Amino acid sequence: MKIGNSAVIALSMAALLAGSSSAALAADFSYAEAAKPYAGKTIRVLDEVTPLQEVLAKIVPEFTKETGIKVEYELLNHGEVINKGQADMLSGRGYYDAVMLHGFQMGQMLEAKALRPIDDLVKNPALSNAKLETADFIEKPYKTVAFHEGQQYGFINWNYNTVYWTRADLMGDASEKTAFKAKYGYDLAPAKTIEQMRDIAEFFTRKKGEALAGQPLASDFYGITFEGIKGQGALFNFVSNILRNYGGDIIDADGKPTFDSPATVEALKMYADLWKFAPPGTAEYSLIDVPTVMGNGIAAQAIAFSDFVLGVDKPGASPLAGKFTYGAIPVKAGMDSKFASADAEPSLTVISANSQNPEPTFLFLQWLVEKKQQEALLDAGAGGVPVRESSWAMPVMNDGNLKPLFGAMKASLQVAQAKPRMPLYLEIADALSAVVQKVGLRQLTPEQGAKEGQKVLVGLCDAKCTL
Amino acid sequence: MAAVTDTAMSQPAPRIRKERFWYPYLLIAPTMITLVIVSLIPFLYAIYLSFHKAKYGRVGDFIWFDNYAGLLADERFWSAISTAGIFVAIAVPVEFMLGLAGAMVLNHGVRGRSVLVPLLFIPTMMAPIVVGLLWKIMLAGSWGFISYNVLERFGILGETSIFASPHLALGALIFVDIWQWTPFMMLAFFAGLQALPLGPYRAAAVDGANGAQIFFRLTLPMMSPLLAVIGLLRLIDAFKVFDTVFILTGGGPGIATESPSVLAYKMTFEFWNIGEASALAVLVWIAFFVFCNAFYQIAKKRLNAF
Repeated sequence: MKIGNSAVIALSMAALLAGSSSAALAADFSYAEAAKPYAGKTIRVLDEVTPLQEVLAKIVPEFTKETGIKVEYELLNHGEVINKGQADMLSGRGYYDAVMLHGFQMGQMLEAKALRPIDDLVKNPALSNAKLETADFIEKPYKTVAFHEGQQYGFINWNYNTVYWTRADLMGDASEKTAFKAKYGYDLAPAKTIEQMRDIAEFFTRKKGEALAGQPLASDFYGITFEGIKGQGALFNFVSNILRNYGGDIIDADGKPTFDSPATVEALKMYADLWKFAPPGTAEYSLIDVPTVMGNGIAAQAIAFSDFVLGVDKPGASPLAGKFTYGAIPVKAGMDSKFASADAEPSLTVISANSQNPEPTFLFLQWLVEKKQQEALLDAGAGGVPVRESSWAMPVMNDGNLKPLFGAMKASLQVAQAKPRMPLYLEIADALSAVVQKVGLRQLTPEQGAKEGQKVLVGLCDAKCTL
Repeated sequence: MAAVTDTAMSQPAPRIRKERFWYPYLLIAPTMITLVIVSLIPFLYAIYLSFHKAKYGRVGDFIWFDNYAGLLADERFWSAISTAGIFVAIAVPVEFMLGLAGAMVLNHGVRGRSVLVPLLFIPTMMAPIVVGLLWKIMLAGSWGFISYNVLERFGILGETSIFASPHLALGALIFVDIWQWTPFMMLAFFAGLQALPLGPYRAAAVDGANGAQIFFRLTLPMMSPLLAVIGLLRLIDAFKVFDTVFILTGGGPGIATESPSVLAYKMTFEFWNIGEASALAVLVWIAFFVFCNAFYQIAKKRLNAF
């Protein structure tokens, strides 16, 4: 097709005008202006209560001041948010315009078509904040939680992640260092590999009466603690923090069950080994028990959710506050770095498919993840779990005692991803976690566990577990 | 006054019934309407759902008995029934016997009874969720007060913990139930003992009956209607146990302590398989309906209860 010069010039001019007008819009975007058609409207948002959200709740009224859109920001506990939020979206009632959704819930909700894609809102120049800097979102968690099959369902609001947690006082104790080097042939230091983590766990597992850092123990002391209770938390503690680091997974890229692989057997062997050095109650430990055990000073290392660590490593919360140090989730020695993995639960706030107010809700969701709000949130909470790369450079993330913790979070989030989009996620997690737990409790061998787990997966979802 | 009495007595009873036949119905109407609204309608809806494919809260096709067949073929369902059966079979008789023994002691007059009786109400008055949290704090592996200071310090449990061991976990749940509900049984039976007539006891004393004869031939028969009712109510309640299991073990380790209520909760709010969860509820209801009816007939004929 031949186009004349004048036509080319006209098209160029049009493109230039369009570009300049969108640039002008981008430069001129203000929430107050964008919200004018919706001023006075009320939107209802359901979120999960943690110390972070309690801080956020104090910032939310600023949005109303800026836009005139009223926000009923409701905070409920983890279980209630899942039950109430999902029930509302699935029933079609649409009481909530937006609901906080953990990554693991996405499979169910997408299958049920309960979520409203936001692509049209993102493309709408009257509503979309071109200065949102989405490229600044921590990439892997954001890309894996907010998008599905080319459609966007939200931004990233929470980046819950696990970190390696250990006792700096023990790692630095001269007598322990000497004894460790004599036994294992290398220096005692926070573990970088899963094998080191295992050695440290073995080294520090001691009985009552034995010495720890020169002091006799009043009760048994354990080398490591982690989630072991049946359920999705403990399962993905194994899958994301160990199995994937061994190059295995529960499903392949096509969603086909792959649990009976040699990598699974090796990973389960290591997992069962770690259980030997963990407290007897590991099979009942949830994400709440692990920080309690560390805070009470009865274990040397832990794999724990970093937001729970924040509640322990602060003056008054634990006698050991200030004596901890942190690191990235240890990886399998000698494995390619592409297999590096850490468990995380990136979460987003989604707009319900039944929302009557998608536009003002979208404005609120954008506002929430803006750099300004995120920085205010982290400042007000004296740190926290960021969703933006730029937040790592904030003074609050670098000046205090928790700098090693924030460094560990950063390392975890570089390799963390959202849970696979499996409609039967909770059934799978419920059944498979029981198998993994049995391996930990030595009721199944690793080989039996791999076979049994595969049987569970195939039984539940046949050849494809994902959407 | 006498005239009024005469007039009242002169009216034939059948006529009253005929003229005001609606009166009793009017009196029970509020209760019946409330029951229909809050109980019968949801129950009928649950039956309706149990015959449909209902996933994610959306009612799909009518699938006849597929939900029931799926459930009856599921090992997990039978495991939950078996767990609840063991729970009830141990907890309720122990609560019953301890409650009755305690009530007898209280009835014989113990010092400080006026203080003791209100104290006995404490476990029963606690919300089940509080009971669960309380015992979690006591028994949690390695950090629970009793676990840390007693069980692990003296190496009582070896390489396991209470809630990590299938048998110990179920045992602990039974223990917690006994702790919570024995005082209730004791107080209910104590109230029953206090209401027994003294005449038969005086006669027995005159006849020279011993303690065992008095208990088995007087107290137990006179108390049997109350014992039957309280026992039945406790049995039904124990079978439905949810809160303490949910808080203390979540049904684990594995599915060792998963009760039908916990399974139904997971099916509904985790797996969103509402059709099958409704079928479970209906099956449990049918089982109890049959059991309670049999119990009612036996209690009515043999114990003169109801």
